Amino acid sequence: MALNTQAVGNLLRRRPRFARGNIELWANLVILSWAAAFMLWQGVGFAITVSTVFAIWAILAVSLNLVVGYTGLLSVGHVGFFGIGAYAMAILSSDASYEQLRTEAIPTFGWPFFAALPISVVLAGLVAIVVGVAFNRFRDDIYVLVSFGFAVIAFNLFLNWRPLTRGAFGIHEIARPEIGGWTLNGAFEFLVLALVFLAIVVLISWFIVTSSFGRVLTAIREDEQAIEVFGYQTAHYKLAIWVISAMMAGLAGALFGSWTSFIDPNSFVLLESILLVSIVILGGLATIWGSLLGAMAFVMLEEGMRFLPFLPTEYVGQARQVVLGVLLVLLMLFRPQGLVGKFRL
Amino acid sequence: MSIFSWKRSASLGLLAVIVVAALGCGEAGSDEPFRIGVMESVTGPGETYGTVAVQSKEMAVAEINAAGGINGRMLELVVEDSKCNAQDAITAYTKLTDVDGVKIILGTSCSGAMLGAAPLAEADGVVMFSGLATNPDIAEAGDYIFRTSLSDATVGVDTGNVLWADGIRRLATISESTDYAEGVRRTTAEHFQSLGGEVVAEERYASDTTDFRTQLEKLLGANPDAVHIAAQSEFTGGTVIKQLRELGYDGPIYADVVPIGTTALEIAGEAATGVKAITPDLDPANAKAQEVLANFKDRYDYVTLPWFLGSAYDNVYIAAECLKQTGDDQDADGFRDCLYEITWSGTIGDNYSFDEKGEVVGLSNAVLEVLPVAERTEENGGYKVLGAAPTG
Repeated sequence: MALNTQAVGNLLRRRPRFARGNIELWANLVILSWAAAFMLWQGVGFAITVSTVFAIWAILAVSLNLVVGYTGLLSVGHVGFFGIGAYAMAILSSDASYEQLRTEAIPTFGWPFFAALPISVVLAGLVAIVVGVAFNRFRDDIYVLVSFGFAVIAFNLFLNWRPLTRGAFGIHEIARPEIGGWTLNGAFEFLVLALVFLAIVVLISWFIVTSSFGRVLTAIREDEQAIEVFGYQTAHYKLAIWVISAMMAGLAGALFGSWTSFIDPNSFVLLESILLVSIVILGGLATIWGSLLGAMAFVMLEEGMRFLPFLPTEYVGQARQVVLGVLLVLLMLFRPQGLVGKFRL
Repeated sequence: MSIFSWKRSASLGLLAVIVVAALGCGEAGSDEPFRIGVMESVTGPGETYGTVAVQSKEMAVAEINAAGGINGRMLELVVEDSKCNAQDAITAYTKLTDVDGVKIILGTSCSGAMLGAAPLAEADGVVMFSGLATNPDIAEAGDYIFRTSLSDATVGVDTGNVLWADGIRRLATISESTDYAEGVRRTTAEHFQSLGGEVVAEERYASDTTDFRTQLEKLLGANPDAVHIAAQSEFTGGTVIKQLRELGYDGPIYADVVPIGTTALEIAGEAATGVKAITPDLDPANAKAQEVLANFKDRYDYVTLPWFLGSAYDNVYIAAECLKQTGDDQDADGFRDCLYEITWSGTIGDNYSFDEKGEVVGLSNAVLEVLPVAERTEENGGYKVLGAAPTG
């Protein structure tokens, strides 16, 4: 009898665990299958464009999750590094002969994409070192404020450093990737390239978070003083992950610039940073898979709602913003840890 | 059932299907509406412009369809939100061309969105035709890119001419840091300097600025003959005018269209009286323009940005004329050639056409002067037209 009671008790205890696991599984499956169905249902070209947007935002989300989710540093300044990568790519690779046709032409270099790419990434990293050294002095809500300040400063530099960025006029004719004389002009080729870079970023991130380095980061998030007692120089760890994350964001920016072939400061406003933090929280903190899922859910929701039924097309634009906002609020009400999150802010 | 009869039945069935399909296709071909895309910033920073443009275009389409359509076929718009940035413009563009299959797109209202989507349109051979985007760089965007909106460069040149003609020799400028306002300021200053004028001080502000007094003190410290304001938002434009007068400045103020908008004039109040604006404006003597404004007011119960409203409206009628000529909404090349050849008289002016860069020719800016508060009415918009801006 006692044995039976124990067995039933075990079953009852096991059931919630099973159910919990299933919620995450179902969430993933529903979103993925919806995304796949959505893509197949729409035209191929549109699906490729939406997938490219996803790949770029996913790189950004994974990189930000390393800082916010794993290390516990809530940064809203990531758009700054995204912009630095994009502007570095634009200035280095934009064709000078076309540039001369423009208003307030700036000197550009016409480098190939793959020459400009590492410089863009390294530049974002260098700026991150300088900024990170200062940011390491702050924690928690003050950290949010200083990262907010960084995003504002970056935007204003893009807007006002006109001899370098052309200010509000933006930069045109940013180079497309070229491999051995083969220019990746087609949308599909570019998508493949973006997905390759996303895979590299995911692999690097996975390697980081499963390594002893990653475990120290998680420990910093849980209790920074406790981990310091064990002799870890937490400032170094925080700076290292900050710089790695910024370089990934720089990579995303460089890809973005090349993909759109035209950038102006409007693409790097603070709101983009807030959306990015939303994606990371939506997917789930401290999970790479969650960031991919969050980016996919967000991009699919936003673009999918171009097809909102029962509405005249002239009202869909406004309606999709409202619906998106409501969905995000509902999701946070019922899944505050995000779709597959392991940690709550 | 024998094999013979089964085959016969199948053949008859197949024949029936083919006949029905052929009839169906024939009917669909003659009755199908012409579908063209519309990309405007209906949300985000350029929402005011985008919404007016979409509503104006919807009104024009309703009129065309009520009058029997184009050669008996209705006209249908597929509207997408391109916001004010390149990424959203690209997704909106791809949705329109790939999912909806349109080859002709009216829009966009934001230059940043236009410049983001234009390279794709150029590569795909899709026509983009804007009534509102004013960035000078759009002139170089390609063979399939057209606009009825006047480039900021023309506004700047005409403003330089007006300043010079009014005897201004020392100018101070204050501008919002956006591509539109920057474009107006730069071309104004350059042309004014080329005429022999001197720009003695210049200031720029971010769009969310509310207190301009420090910057204005610096401008006035340079002792200018006049102050030129280039703004993107009516709130900042109106506030700059108000604060200039509060600081005791009583000299002439020149501006682009934004600082004399309805909201800007409400903010500035009496301080705006006498401000001169150099901008495209609807001709009060143009009966068509007045009719369009009245119809818009009836339909939507408000009127704002009348020239841009008229420009978007004319775009639809020009598109309808070109569709009438080509008879095919998938023939972008024919549509483009039609635009190159067309001469149009409509809401924003008479006998205007497009040059080899797709830029509108035959339209000019007007010089407007803001009236005292007591004389401002909904009908006159708060200003009077002094005449066409001097050119050359």
